[in-house]
Amino acid sequence: MLSKRQFLQAAGVTIANQLKVSGADPAESARKVIIVTFGGGVRYAETFTREGLRNIPRLAALQGQGYFYRDCRNLGVLSHFNSTASIVTGQWQRVDDFGFQPPASTTIFEAYRKQRKANPQDAWAICTNKSFANISGAAGANVVLPKQLLLEAVKDVVRRGEGLGVADRDNVQRRLASILQEGYEGVGWTVFKGGRSLDQKVQRTLTHALVEYINGPEAPASGDELTFFIAREVMREFSPRLILVNFWDMDVAHWGAYSLYLQAVTRTDRLTGMLWDEVQANPAYRDRTTMLVLPELGRDGDINTANGFLNHRSGDASCRNMWMLALGAGKGETEQPVAHIDATATAARMLEIPFECAGRPLPGIS
Amino acid sequence: MVSPALQSLIDQGLFERIPATFATYFLEQFKEWALLFPAEQNYFERLFTLINRTPSNEFDALRAVERKMGVNEKNWPRRSFTLDQVDFLNRNPHYPEWRSGIAAIFAKLNPMLDQEIQRKGRPRLSIVLSPPELPVGPDRLWTRLRGKRVALAEPLDVAPLVSLLSAPEPRPYDRWLIQTGRDIELGAAVSMSYDALEPYRQRLMREVQQVVEKEQIRGPRELGARLKQMKLLPGEGVSDLLLAEFTRSILLAGNGTLLVNNTFVEWAAVQAIRRARPSLIITAFGIRNKMKPFSSLLIFDDPDKANPIPAQGDMLGTYVDLEVLYLYIWQEFEKYAEYVRNTVHVFAAPGLEEMLVISPPDFTLNKPDSKALASACREWLQWA
Repeated sequence: MLSKRQFLQAAGVTIANQLKVSGADPAESARKVIIVTFGGGVRYAETFTREGLRNIPRLAALQGQGYFYRDCRNLGVLSHFNSTASIVTGQWQRVDDFGFQPPASTTIFEAYRKQRKANPQDAWAICTNKSFANISGAAGANVVLPKQLLLEAVKDVVRRGEGLGVADRDNVQRRLASILQEGYEGVGWTVFKGGRSLDQKVQRTLTHALVEYINGPEAPASGDELTFFIAREVMREFSPRLILVNFWDMDVAHWGAYSLYLQAVTRTDRLTGMLWDEVQANPAYRDRTTMLVLPELGRDGDINTANGFLNHRSGDASCRNMWMLALGAGKGETEQPVAHIDATATAARMLEIPFECAGRPLPGIS
Repeated sequence: MVSPALQSLIDQGLFERIPATFATYFLEQFKEWALLFPAEQNYFERLFTLINRTPSNEFDALRAVERKMGVNEKNWPRRSFTLDQVDFLNRNPHYPEWRSGIAAIFAKLNPMLDQEIQRKGRPRLSIVLSPPELPVGPDRLWTRLRGKRVALAEPLDVAPLVSLLSAPEPRPYDRWLIQTGRDIELGAAVSMSYDALEPYRQRLMREVQQVVEKEQIRGPRELGARLKQMKLLPGEGVSDLLLAEFTRSILLAGNGTLLVNNTFVEWAAVQAIRRARPSLIITAFGIRNKMKPFSSLLIFDDPDKANPIPAQGDMLGTYVDLEVLYLYIWQEFEKYAEYVRNTVHVFAAPGLEEMLVISPPDFTLNKPDSKALASACREWLQWA
């Protein structure tokens, strides 16, 4: 059996084999940008309030090391796709809520690759939300949807109803091997759009690793852990200058179980902290990376809404008013209002590319 | 077929005089008049009687927003309300302004309607039961609520309280029991049980899965229209047509009601309060199961089939969940004039020797035991 790390390395190798290598390599000293979204939506109440800090111990500790924007607003459509599309375009988006259309304006990924003539492996979007295949635009980032891979594998096992289902490792392994033989396109990793089949060695590696991942002591209840490991592996293998990491577990709030929502918030906090640890440990990122962390959107407040934290449709302050933490670009704090779309303008400045958008570079950091 | 009073207003052209986006939504609601609770029918009659007396210029601001939005006969036919219109509203850049316009109208109308309700007010009672298995003492229960903690002389026996549901001469849809399990038996009241609905829930999960996977559904709105067709069948536990539709809408609301027992109970209670405005509602929560690995991924699969490991109760998680849900139920009552300053709220648990009571000052409990509590509640409700 392979370890998670071995699996992800293998997955990374697979991706590398499929990518075209062209254009100039980024300069070693070039600034890098990682945008991390608390996707699915989290309220101020469960994060940067006195009561909320207990749910985000890593970010609470990192707050003083970065620049904290106390008043960051999402003034757009409060759906997942539109909110994240606004973040990566710097324009408030009003496209299909469920990702059937790409963003209506140029994404920072497209602009970066075009302006800097960057390699395809230099811009990545690693997203737990499985409807984000179009999030980076037509010629933007490699988009990886780890949860979809996991979902397809598990679903297939369950549908077939053989033996003990997902509790039977051999059963899972057989199904995974079968899925992988059919090619990656069907499981959502748009990076493999070219449609080349995976070689036998990688198939075996991936199958073994996923089975271990599924049935191991840290059996995932969701996709965010896998998203983190993939993101970290991508950083180690390709050192891209621009990455979007979309966590999404906390959207379990729709199920109405507050404890599961809090667990997901804390998991996202932990994984975000681990990403920053990787930035500090990885020579390709240390001292040259800005990491922007922000909730994709909030969730309805407890008062005067249909059902509080379960939803994010009311448009109340709890849905729209959030925070942003910029790590690696200065220290401080401001109550001056900023907006989601300012993340993109800031990223463009860090990447030294011209980028027209409605957002403005965040104050206080450079 | 709407009530004669409302039909008369329609015939007089009221709905042609008010802004199209306002009128069409309600006309759509009226199409299923028989599937509205008496309290809803009564509300619509009172609302439109009031609107009929309201000067037309009160709607000018909304008319101006509609012009900016480009509402016209082509994209907004007055006699139909479709998903296209919902999309039109949601995607229009003036949508926030439109919402504000609608809110402004109701901010003027609602206080007048509420005054009318308060003049005819009557006492109400809510009993919220926590599961006895929760791993915390009463001092850590109901922490988000402010009320009077009452020590009981003996562990709470819920039977006398439940007997209130079968008191004589019930009004239609006026007494509700909503529970996760089937622990509480009752007579003449509306009864909803998550467990009892299992055959329907299982069928819904299969059908929803089929729709999501086999049909080209583009998002929840299309899905919602498709789900509307998934009605309860004879033998699935609910024979009353109105309650069958209510049950369907609760289970397919898009949140976790189909999957999590306490979410079902909370949302059913909130919707019963909002729509039926009952005099008495008993809400009995249970223990939620722990999420099994992968069951959160395959949301429309039966977790017991997806993973044969036996289900385990999540005691601590349930406790955390319920502390929020108690608040949401109490808040829902506080939104409506029928309940404000009129309602006794009892939060208790079978076998527990303490309860929380939120009540008007004139509710009195002579003896701190279960029978005396039931007797005080009966007296409060003015039921013989």
